[in-house]
Amino acid sequence: MLKSVIGAVVALGLGALPVLADYPEKEIQGIIQWGAGGSTDTVARAITPHAEAALGGNIVMQNVTGGVGAIGLNQVADAEADGYSILFGAENPLLYKVMKLGDKDYSDFVAINIIARGVPILVANVDAPFDTFPEMVEYVNANPRAVKFGSTGPGGLPSVVTAMINSKTPLDVTFVPYDGDGPALTALQGGAIDVMPAVLGAAIEGIKGGTMKPLALFDIEASPQLPDVPTIVSTNPEFEEMLPWGPFFGVFVKQGTPDDVVTKLTAAYAEAAKNPDFEALIDGRGFKMLSLSGAEADTFLSEWQATTSWLIHDAGLTKASPEEFGIAKP
Amino acid sequence: MDVLQSLLIPIIDLKLLGLIALGTFAGIYVGAIPGLSVTMAVSILISFTFSWEVYPALALMIGIYMGGVYGGSRTAILLNIPGAPAAIATALDGYPLAQKGLAGEAIGIVTVVSFIGGFIGILALALFAPLLADFAIRFQPRDYMLLAVLGILLVGSLSGDSLVKGIFAGALGIGLGSVGMDPLTYTERFTFGTDALRSGVSFVAVMIGMFGISEGLMQLHTVNTAAVKQKIGRIIPSWPLVRKHLPLGLQTSSIGTVIGALPGTGGDIAALIAYDHATRVTRNPEVPFGKGAIEGLVAPETANNAAVGGAFIPMLTLGIPGDAVTAIMIGALFIHGLNPGPMLMVEQPDMFWFIVSALGLANVFMLIFGLTGIKMFVKIVEMPRAMLLPVILLLSIVGAYAVSNSLADVYWMLGFGVFGYFLKLYGYPLGPVILGVILSRLLDDNWRRAIISDQESLWMLLKGTLASPLSLVLFVSVVLIFVSKTPLWGMIFRKKAG
Repeated sequence: MLKSVIGAVVALGLGALPVLADYPEKEIQGIIQWGAGGSTDTVARAITPHAEAALGGNIVMQNVTGGVGAIGLNQVADAEADGYSILFGAENPLLYKVMKLGDKDYSDFVAINIIARGVPILVANVDAPFDTFPEMVEYVNANPRAVKFGSTGPGGLPSVVTAMINSKTPLDVTFVPYDGDGPALTALQGGAIDVMPAVLGAAIEGIKGGTMKPLALFDIEASPQLPDVPTIVSTNPEFEEMLPWGPFFGVFVKQGTPDDVVTKLTAAYAEAAKNPDFEALIDGRGFKMLSLSGAEADTFLSEWQATTSWLIHDAGLTKASPEEFGIAKP
Repeated sequence: MDVLQSLLIPIIDLKLLGLIALGTFAGIYVGAIPGLSVTMAVSILISFTFSWEVYPALALMIGIYMGGVYGGSRTAILLNIPGAPAAIATALDGYPLAQKGLAGEAIGIVTVVSFIGGFIGILALALFAPLLADFAIRFQPRDYMLLAVLGILLVGSLSGDSLVKGIFAGALGIGLGSVGMDPLTYTERFTFGTDALRSGVSFVAVMIGMFGISEGLMQLHTVNTAAVKQKIGRIIPSWPLVRKHLPLGLQTSSIGTVIGALPGTGGDIAALIAYDHATRVTRNPEVPFGKGAIEGLVAPETANNAAVGGAFIPMLTLGIPGDAVTAIMIGALFIHGLNPGPMLMVEQPDMFWFIVSALGLANVFMLIFGLTGIKMFVKIVEMPRAMLLPVILLLSIVGAYAVSNSLADVYWMLGFGVFGYFLKLYGYPLGPVILGVILSRLLDDNWRRAIISDQESLWMLLKGTLASPLSLVLFVSVVLIFVSKTPLWGMIFRKKAG
């Protein structure tokens, strides 16, 4: 093992030298928008080694966090459009404009691969006095403000799911803000909050281990990992028009990157997404594999942006109307 | 039998043993260089060890973690630049010791007590993990808030001659800590509309500037003074000395384990609260705190190493990270096809015992590597100042840049270095500034969560505090510590005595 460590160090050193004539002829900088250990980070670090193999180059991963991911996004947007800076991002940039968090979004980038989509799920503390979504609604209506929902700031998954719920069944609950869904789910297990809209991947192990209680899966079909958890449309079919919806992860390069580079990267990541180990990771964490690129990815991004911006705008969470940025109401 | 087998995995496999040793050795240097953090090293290792088996990958990470937490003390003692935030409290008494020519002795005792702290943390992990995890996740926002208040009371013992100056410095730190985009509402605070301030002021940069650069600037006043000759006698502390401090060390190790196990806090806060505890329970230190008290080394260094074992407690039992490093390790486990969560201990108990064993080995390697080469390190302090100062400046600049490869952090570091120099010149203590920066978020976020949870009613918050045994204990501690420092306390007790 020591030998292979030394070998790898030497290889990394050699990789920095311009030995290949074609792209990639030097190290590629991979900027991860979110912190180490989070979902975006895990997915990015898990897919990239397979893409490196397909590409025949080195991608050096770095977490550039802060400003709801805008710092990392801007770093790639400010770099040369040569394919040597790639962005691993989540859904958040599509809401930067309406949230006034920045003036750039994925329209300034080329989507290499929209890797996977998360599925939202509503989970509750195991001792909560309700077991299903309709029971929860009933309990909340009988006890206004008493139920504590975890939230992660406007634009995050909890705020979007809450906006969906409020558009159908307005709920009078108390929102307790947390710094991400990890800390909020911890608080849920400790009883500091009662209900949390989270991404399935973050909650799946807790549900299997019985440390949190699933109320409803926010999708149109049940999850293969948790077939017994009811979908929201099975009890409340009125939600169907807004689903499926979910946060996503993708790989992006700056707009203006040469076509041959985009083609090479796209092929490499499409190949990597087919790797069985990576597929197992995506399934195990309760994500849905998408692996979209080209026109398909663009359609996905613009539809996602339109649905979500208008949903949270109608819920009064935005700082500017989507209309200002030419985002048409779906 | 299964437990024993799993415990033996890293011991009998020479490859794993070697990786743990390598990790620990590398960790000590990663920890010692300001700006390079264990968190950073472990996230790089995720990509680096991607194709490895899970055991070797974890062995290397665990070594780095254990060594790194200890390594932060090295530069704190020698140069007054804490290698990591968890070593801030160590600088307070360690650096004065080095200035007295006792750097070797200080590093020796720090190494031994770090080993003791690490051992207690691992023992707690092995024996009481499910119990402690259950306790730790029950901490409510109001409890975290009270814990932060408890930490802030440390300003009292860090203030030196003037409490007013100490409070000013602490408040400044809390203000600095709140710069940037508020993570709870995404509202910008004190950013003046600039992108650079949006992600806040890097507190590692503030720390390096305030400790390293300002000390370097101070030394320019006396640049011709000959450096202190270091006494190189006994490096390994004598048993009576260790035994004398063992009771305190065990207390602070327990504090460290519990704070490490709390999902919202890590080794840095553990070390500060332990230091505060030491200043209160040590009746007559041989040397006052802040001037080179051995107790001031024992408390933070046992606590931050105990916090390592503590941080694994919620991670391995519930899949909840105890700190930033264990959060990354959870990601690593996912990538290696494991699913850390409440079922991990049921489905893969061997993983639990493997980690316990690897931590234990890393702790032993830390002791061995820590105690060797001290004599060489101590020579650094003996360098003529004219040579040492450029080294401090260079190390500070490289460190600040390494935090996030950003020149902005270098400017912050230099700016706060100069600012810190003037604060020092006017007799303002710098400890409380850093304390404020570290505790700012913990206090602010949890205060807001607590009051929001109780429907924005102070009365309900107070009722909730009194109704929960845990909150009540913390609340009473805060009140007692506060009152015990006021004249009121003296009046009551003098009357009773009379």
